[in-house]
Amino acid sequence: MKKRIRLALVGLFTIALLVMGCGSNTAKQSVTNEKGEKQVLNLFSWADNFSPEVLAAFEKKYNCKINYDVFANNEELLAKIQAGGAQYDLIQPSDYMVSTMVKLNLLEKLDKTKIPNMKNIVKPLQAPSYDPTGDYSVIYTWGMTGIVYNKKYITETPTSWADLWNPEYKGRVILLNDSREVFGMALKKNGFSNNSTNKDQLDKAFADLKTLAPSILAYDTDTIKQKFIAEEAWIGTMWSGDASFTYKDNKNIGFVIPKEGTLIWADTFAIPKGAKNKELAEKFINFMYEPKISAQNYEYIGYNDPNEKAREFHSKEFLSDPMLKVAVNDVKQGEWLKDIGDGLTLYDRYWTELKTIK
Amino acid sequence: MKKNWRSSALFAYSLAILAFLYLPLLILTLYSFNDSRINAVWTGFTFKWYIALLHNQRVLEALTNSLMIAAVSTFVSTILGTMAALALNRYTYKYKAVINGLLYLPILIPEIVMGLSLLVLFSQTSVPLGKVTLILAHITFCLSFVIITVNARLEGMHKDLEQAASDLYATPWQTFRYITFPLALPGIVAGALIAFTLSIDDFVISFFVAGPNSTTLPLYVYAMVKRGISPEINALSTVLMFATISLIIIAQVLQPQHTSSKKEKE
Repeated sequence: MKKRIRLALVGLFTIALLVMGCGSNTAKQSVTNEKGEKQVLNLFSWADNFSPEVLAAFEKKYNCKINYDVFANNEELLAKIQAGGAQYDLIQPSDYMVSTMVKLNLLEKLDKTKIPNMKNIVKPLQAPSYDPTGDYSVIYTWGMTGIVYNKKYITETPTSWADLWNPEYKGRVILLNDSREVFGMALKKNGFSNNSTNKDQLDKAFADLKTLAPSILAYDTDTIKQKFIAEEAWIGTMWSGDASFTYKDNKNIGFVIPKEGTLIWADTFAIPKGAKNKELAEKFINFMYEPKISAQNYEYIGYNDPNEKAREFHSKEFLSDPMLKVAVNDVKQGEWLKDIGDGLTLYDRYWTELKTIK
Repeated sequence: MKKNWRSSALFAYSLAILAFLYLPLLILTLYSFNDSRINAVWTGFTFKWYIALLHNQRVLEALTNSLMIAAVSTFVSTILGTMAALALNRYTYKYKAVINGLLYLPILIPEIVMGLSLLVLFSQTSVPLGKVTLILAHITFCLSFVIITVNARLEGMHKDLEQAASDLYATPWQTFRYITFPLALPGIVAGALIAFTLSIDDFVISFFVAGPNSTTLPLYVYAMVKRGISPEINALSTVLMFATISLIIIAQVLQPQHTSSKKEKE
């Protein structure tokens, strides 16, 4: 018994030593912070949303430390900002969350003179409808929902959402697992807005989706890429960024934005009310749109670069990625999702019904 | 013959249950060694995801945070919990049963309620969210587990040894130092290990009270899933899982002592 205890103590001691080792490292860091008067940028964002080299370059240039914390969805971000307030200097809400946060008075107005590189952003994305004056947010990553298909099985290039209804694809169709995405698509197919809350229009979309239900392999967002790479699925709806990822592993994959138009989304930079280090946050945003930096960053994260001036610094592969190209050409086809409030109840009811159809 | 049939049926049933429990974990571990970056197909064996983890600055930061928070909250909750257990075990006082119950309650309270109430507390008293609030929260939920574990050990101890010590003119401190503490040690160590494990693993409560520069490993894993499940997450989860399992095994090895000594007494 004594042996066992001794063993356990040795174990604990080792753990403690290890931890102390780590602890003292961080302690050292913070000491130099105070001495060198390093500024700290508290960044709250999605995981893996930046090239680590670009972050390091910013830290070096402005002699500061970035604390990069992560959230998994917009609602989590909103809750944290509402509860804690002013803890973070820079956040990355998505499009609709920007307008929600502006309404709730949670965002600082950006000082545009401090962010001259904002001009580098392509025109249609400078003042999107969720932030029409561009006072509160700067677009960072964006993409569109389109039709992804495997050229091996689908020889005719799809042009319309209606192509998903082709009976030949029975059991091979995947739709995103999201009520706004699925109903938005069916609304667009019928020429309506994907923010519609009109019952007749929704009924029509719902009726269409019911006829599509027998063809559906799955409603899936999390493993949709795998299903297309493994060629379980032939055709379906997908975000442009995911399509680009899928294409890298399966060259038979094609991606189109249907002629009826589609949903467009974006993640942005914004500064929460009362941020301690607003100036550094603005420097960071500006830094991210320096042409060379943004080229390096977007190559790493694999999303569309909204920076016009960065074009010449991008590699050929990046510029020729069919997915990324499609999305740039079709920005005008996109319609931003809006917060539809109580209208969502009807979506939810139809969505539940739809998913029970076998 | 019939008995044979029965026992093999039972055996098969147990196997099925075990498979149900462990198959998902096994598959997760297996795919952390998969060469392909998607989980769809097996393309070959590799350690590259583990190596990638070691070079991922964010992961290392999250790991440091997790270890630091776990170490501090284990240390504090073990000391506080041991003292509380000694007091509970030693003295009788009014409403003892009620106070006992109150100390164990945090184990039964749904984590999400506890997380939310701590968040409300911190924001009402405007304590900035961060490492400090995480440590405070972790101490809160570890405490009950330490008390239970240490108390179980104390209950199984012979009171006569302490009495004998004081009969032989040992001061209370000497009695504690040379009799009570060594006897209670396995319980204390087991309690500390459980506290450490709980703190490393905790997601729900941490989710509520984390702030800038305090992303722990479970919080990081959760946020990574949003980007699609990559083998790197599998690798990270595997590491986390094996660390937890080994700590629990150590705690288990230390635990049986008190049951056996109880039997001796009986």
